[in-house]
Amino acid sequence: MTLAVILKQVPDVVEELAIDPSGTDLDRDSVSYVVNEFDEHALEEALLLREATGEDVVVVGVDTTGELDQALYTALAKGAQRAVKLVGDVEGSWLSTRALAGLLAPVIRELSPRLVLTGVQAPDDLDGQLAPTLGALLDWPHTGVVVGTELADGLVRVRKELWGGIMLDLELATPAVLGIQAARATPRYVPVGRVRQAMRESTIEEVEVETPVESAPKLSRLRAPEAAGRAEMLTGSPSDVVERILEILRARGLY
Amino acid sequence: MLTTPERIAFLLLALASLLLTLRGVRLIVRAIGRGYGRPSWGVFLRRVIPVSLDILLQRPIFRTRPLVSLLHAGVFFAFVFYGLVNVLDLLEGFNGYSTLHASGVASAYNLVADLLSVAALLGMLGLLLRRFGLRPFRFNRAVFLLPSVRFGISRDSAIVGGFILLHVGSRWAGQAVRIAESGRPDWSQPTASLLARLLGGLDAATLAVASHATWWLALGLILVFLPYFPYSKHIHLFMAPLNLILREEKPLGRLEPPVGNGQLGSARLEELRWYQILDAYACIMCNRCQDVCPAHGTGRALSPAALEINKRYYLNRNLNRFAGGTTSPPLLETATSRAAVWSCTTCGACVRICPVGNRPMLDLIDLRRSLVFAGDELDPNLQAALESLSRYGNSFGKPARQRARWARDLPFPVKDARKEPVEYLWFVGDFASFDPRMQENTKTVAQLFHQAGVDFGILYEDEWNSGNDVRRVGEEGLFELLAEHNLAVLGKARFRAIVTTDPHSYNALRNEYSALGLDVPVYHYTEVLAELLERGQLRPSKRLQAVATYHDPCYLGRYNRITAAPRRVIRALGLELREMPRHGENTYCCGAGGGQIWMDSGGQERPSEQRIREAIALGEDVRFFVVACPKDMAMYSDAVKTTGYEQRLTVIDVARLVAWATGLIELEREAAPVSE
Ligand code: SF4
Ligand code: SF4
Repeated sequence: MTLAVILKQVPDVVEELAIDPSGTDLDRDSVSYVVNEFDEHALEEALLLREATGEDVVVVGVDTTGELDQALYTALAKGAQRAVKLVGDVEGSWLSTRALAGLLAPVIRELSPRLVLTGVQAPDDLDGQLAPTLGALLDWPHTGVVVGTELADGLVRVRKELWGGIMLDLELATPAVLGIQAARATPRYVPVGRVRQAMRESTIEEVEVETPVESAPKLSRLRAPEAAGRAEMLTGSPSDVVERILEILRARGLY
Repeated sequence: MLTTPERIAFLLLALASLLLTLRGVRLIVRAIGRGYGRPSWGVFLRRVIPVSLDILLQRPIFRTRPLVSLLHAGVFFAFVFYGLVNVLDLLEGFNGYSTLHASGVASAYNLVADLLSVAALLGMLGLLLRRFGLRPFRFNRAVFLLPSVRFGISRDSAIVGGFILLHVGSRWAGQAVRIAESGRPDWSQPTASLLARLLGGLDAATLAVASHATWWLALGLILVFLPYFPYSKHIHLFMAPLNLILREEKPLGRLEPPVGNGQLGSARLEELRWYQILDAYACIMCNRCQDVCPAHGTGRALSPAALEINKRYYLNRNLNRFAGGTTSPPLLETATSRAAVWSCTTCGACVRICPVGNRPMLDLIDLRRSLVFAGDELDPNLQAALESLSRYGNSFGKPARQRARWARDLPFPVKDARKEPVEYLWFVGDFASFDPRMQENTKTVAQLFHQAGVDFGILYEDEWNSGNDVRRVGEEGLFELLAEHNLAVLGKARFRAIVTTDPHSYNALRNEYSALGLDVPVYHYTEVLAELLERGQLRPSKRLQAVATYHDPCYLGRYNRITAAPRRVIRALGLELREMPRHGENTYCCGAGGGQIWMDSGGQERPSEQRIREAIALGEDVRFFVVACPKDMAMYSDAVKTTGYEQRLTVIDVARLVAWATGLIELEREAAPVSE
């Protein structure tokens, strides 16, 4: 049996993002991509399950960036058995979560995994729609905000985080789709040597797909966040600082 | 002269003993041969004479502990000379040849043998008294020791010491007996003659028996001891010189790639290189390496001595099986612990001090390599640093584009060495580029270069971490990645020489990159500053009158022997330099190297704090703790605070002092009186 993990690349927000002159896209030449952080946790959770039960882990992704190989090889180096890449005219586009789920669903059904694990959310899916949408398309049970899993006969026990630190333990019939909030352990480090080894020794399976025609809202304009007022640090002796505060309050008519 | 039955007995005993010994030696050779690689006979031929001379002069031993080394020298010289003595004594036993009452060369021989016997006896007594009376050999509680080691070291020392005492003592007494038999003192054997006077009262028959008994005790004992020899630490007699001679003349700062397919590292004894197994046989268990180890010195689980000793005792107990080719248990079960492996700062002190040329540090790095490659759990901070390094080329988790941000604050543009030729390509280093506390120093260095009219440029975002510490953490693949990138960028830039602020980068560029094809001069910025001062390109406008001490960074002072340049700078400014006891190549680690800067130390006290205390002990008047490494600046600025000496001692980069003297900057806290 297999565990399917969905990997998605998102712009690295550590780097400064720039907007393309068209105003409706990021400047793709300057963007660099990272695997969505929650997806890293989904992979780690799958690898932990594999260590406990011996399932095969297969990573699946839609190559919208043209750089997905890197992420897939890294996953193989970490211990996944197979990598499947969906390719086609999707490269260079941003897919809506619904479109993404639509592309993935048939491929995943084909893989007939015991579990599908994906990040609970992503920078371009802040509502965490991927797991529920996939679940609905596949007609499999699903849940999100998962912080721990355990496989048993015909079902999966999951721990889910609710508000205020309350934990909920659930059992779902398998196959099921899980949105992972955090793996039970920090996603593991994979040495560069192993990634290079994976690049030499393993292959990535490819599946041709076409960008679905969907009635999605159209993006009209992308804007950089406006610089908010800067905080001013008051320095000097306490009495200087007090003076300054009073001055500011006075200037605003508050004192 | 021996009787005929005695001769036969001796020959039979000798045969048995030699066969047994040979078997032991062959097993050892096979055990060492299981390691990767083979010794190079070219190296042997090149080094055999100079290194043998070094050993004859006992230079490797006298690096430290002068008194103990003197005792050792006594035993050593006696032993070397005893090679000849034993041969002549054999002759005497078998055909009666004797140098007793002889004149000329033979009398000189007698005199030397006589005096060295006493030297050896005294030396050995001294060493045994020290080992068993003072018990100077202790390991931190957390250090992993094989159960057989605790008791084994003492037993082995007692056997070896006892053997030497008996062997030399019997020979010496035997000479006295023979002198007594002859009825008159032999002036060429003064001490034995003295002893002979005590024996004067004995009758001829007793003396004859004594003559035979002492002969057997002196020479027969060798035959009894010989089969034990390969299992005793006495084998260092051969293994230590071999180890020293066969050591490739390679800088310590250039590591070999991991064994196996180039990634694996070494998890088991047989996965080490041949010379790392030889190390275990050369080790004399003196613990000198442990004494200088900053990890052990701060109560951590690491002892480089214990590592070698454990290896040795594992081999002693399992020699047959190991030499036969069975897979040995992981080194983490027989030689050291995970905690120990991760506390090494790769300071190289153990390698430098070891009298027999061992390099325990290399084992630790190879162990790390195997742990990293096997996906063993890493310290979370270390993992974050490595992930950042592979993503952004720096350990700070900052985009590469921010690397040269500090240069924006300068009143002049810094040349882009990727775009225009420069004389000096300045490889700034991660800490100097990204750490906000260090950026001031970096700007100061830039301003000094500018002021002196140096034509320099930087690589901006294309400079990546040099990978020095990445390699020492055991992440070989990442090191390769970083090095490949930097080499490609350097290959495209046009410059005469590289200058770097960071001793770690310095080491990588100079020693590691040169093995990968980089062929340009590399300088540390202190070398450039010293030159600029001496050539008058930098002119101090005031003399700094204060006492300063200087901390040699391991990767500068010990690894690359750059100790004079920073001192030249300090003196050129008028400062009085007062040395800490551990300086130059004997410097003490700040605790940040080998990736420790990214890990949680967990020691009782940090090495940097001990170091600050060492500086404080130099006297009330020492005002500056001068550093020449961005990591040192970080480590010691912290340590001077945590030890509470912030008011007394100012930690300062040598460049800041220069800039102060040339009037480029004003220091906030004027710790010292300055004369115009
Ligand atoms: S390199 Fe330094 S820290 Fe590491 S074992 Fe040797 S002395 Fe100790
Ligand atoms: S490794 Fe060298 S310094 Fe350390 S105990 Fe052995 S002989 Fe002494």
